[in-house]
Amino acid sequence: MTATTHPVTPEEVMAFLDGELSHVEAQAVSAHLEDCAECAGVVEQFRNLSQSLSEWEVPAVSSKLDEPVRDAAVSNSTPVRTIRFGIWNWRLWAIGGGGAFAAILVFALIIFSYSSPLPRTAQFLAQKKEIEQNNAATNNKPEVMNGLIDKQQIAALPLESRQMDSLARISPGVVSEAKTRDARDRTVAPPPSAPMIARTVSLTIQVKDFAAARAALDNILARHHGYSAQLSVNTQENAPRDLYASLRIPAPELLAAIGELKTLGRVQNESQTGEEVTQQHADQAARLKNSRETEERLQAILQQRTGKIEDVLEVEEEIARVRGEIESMESDQDALEHRVSFATVNLQLTEEYKAQLNSPDASATTRMHNSFVAGFHNASETVLRIVLFLEEYGPPILIWLVILGLPASFAWRRYKRMHSRF
Amino acid sequence: MTGKRNDAPSNPDADEQTETDEQLMVAFARGSSDAFNVLFLRYKQPLFGFFRRRVADPAQAEELTQEAFLAVLRASARYQACALFRTYLYAIGFKILRAHRRKSAFRVIFHGEAQLGHEAAIESTADAEVVLRQAVGKLDPMDREILMLREFEQLSYAEIAELCSLPLNTVRSRLFRARTALHDLLAAPAPHSTRNELKESEGRA
Repeated sequence: MTATTHPVTPEEVMAFLDGELSHVEAQAVSAHLEDCAECAGVVEQFRNLSQSLSEWEVPAVSSKLDEPVRDAAVSNSTPVRTIRFGIWNWRLWAIGGGGAFAAILVFALIIFSYSSPLPRTAQFLAQKKEIEQNNAATNNKPEVMNGLIDKQQIAALPLESRQMDSLARISPGVVSEAKTRDARDRTVAPPPSAPMIARTVSLTIQVKDFAAARAALDNILARHHGYSAQLSVNTQENAPRDLYASLRIPAPELLAAIGELKTLGRVQNESQTGEEVTQQHADQAARLKNSRETEERLQAILQQRTGKIEDVLEVEEEIARVRGEIESMESDQDALEHRVSFATVNLQLTEEYKAQLNSPDASATTRMHNSFVAGFHNASETVLRIVLFLEEYGPPILIWLVILGLPASFAWRRYKRMHSRF
Repeated sequence: MTGKRNDAPSNPDADEQTETDEQLMVAFARGSSDAFNVLFLRYKQPLFGFFRRRVADPAQAEELTQEAFLAVLRASARYQACALFRTYLYAIGFKILRAHRRKSAFRVIFHGEAQLGHEAAIESTADAEVVLRQAVGKLDPMDREILMLREFEQLSYAEIAELCSLPLNTVRSRLFRARTALHDLLAAPAPHSTRNELKESEGRA
């Protein structure tokens, strides 16, 4: 049965019997089989073979198989909502997209919370702390100096006593008079005329127009005859600007100045403190008066010049020491009076921030060019690294491939021989 | 050409006949154990026949059948109705069969030839069937598998091609070659075969 004598091959006859031909092909084969006895014999041959194979019967499967499988089916029949990881699975895309969006959101929050505002806040707080420390140092200076003076005076008392002893030898009458005056001055302090209060005001104001607020601040200071002891402005990109200043304003104009400052914007925080320094000022005045009188007495003693040269030198040294104390106390008293006459205003101005849609720094062409250059560098660097890696590790890799590859190849061939697919 | 066999897929429940295998499998994946029971009844005997004709020990054939259904159960959540369930089931059967053959070969290497148990069916096997099994065992492994999938499992050429990862025309030509070779083997005078030879040929099948 050849193709020249038969239009259909035995294989096509077989496919026809199996129902695997198309309708047109099946019609052609069927028509040929009606006329060709040889091909009909082929059909009979295949049918006999199939009949022979059907004699290979398999006994019915045991029913003991049913129970474990059905039990497993019942236990496994809870609905399983497994997400199939196909490319077109909308759930996968939804979950993946949502997760990516959440991750980007968290990342952006972290970046904006910790990168730009935090350093700015930290910088601002550092400046604020520095200014407050300066203020505290200024405010405490009289007290500290007072302490020093007290200690110096206490330390000087025995020396003064010793000096008095030596002076008594020079002029006993002057010394006794000085002792009497000292005792009177120490016990009688000048009464305070009015309470002396050093005022400190802290203000935090949020302004809409930062530049206008800055100009208005300068005007307020000029109008009320005040000045700024310290002022710092922070201006950062994509961040609100802020200003921190330590202002000195004459005490009588403090209330008016604060009222005007509050008109700059929305007051977020305000605090006022008043420290009464009346007693402190009175003490300083009394000590200063005593020191001046001591100086006058020493000057009077020196003018008599009745003692030895050593005693005269000792009196001159004492005059110099008392002069130093007087000058120190005078400066402290001036500072204290300045604190009372000029109130301190710690002002913080913060701008209401509105995000700016900035255009990119560089044009698209420049950025593409830069990216291309960077990509070229990266590619060349990668190639170089691969070459260096192969140079360094290539020979040992080859050795290990030979050591491990030959047995593996042998085992694989043996495995394939032993376990053919069917 | 192939007639209806006793191990062909059957639909025992008339109510369930309207539902295809794939619909039942999807229903089971959604939690319906009844759907799996229907599938189990349809394919219990065909799958047992699949293993029984390829494994010498009937007990092992039952174990492999059970294992295949349990594998289908485990994989039900990942089942996608993009192919016929029948193809899917026999693909699982082939995987299990290959694993079984690997283990058997391993045991043979390290523990020697396993003692096969006697089987009542073999005792009563007719001579014609013995000759047939012996002839099938002599076929080329791939041709034999294609022939058996067509004759016993009644798979189409396309399904066989998908299972064996072969082109469709290759399946047809190999099937023709297997049938021709089997016809020649059966036509030739059969030599006397012992039961052990029969088991060996059955094991190869």
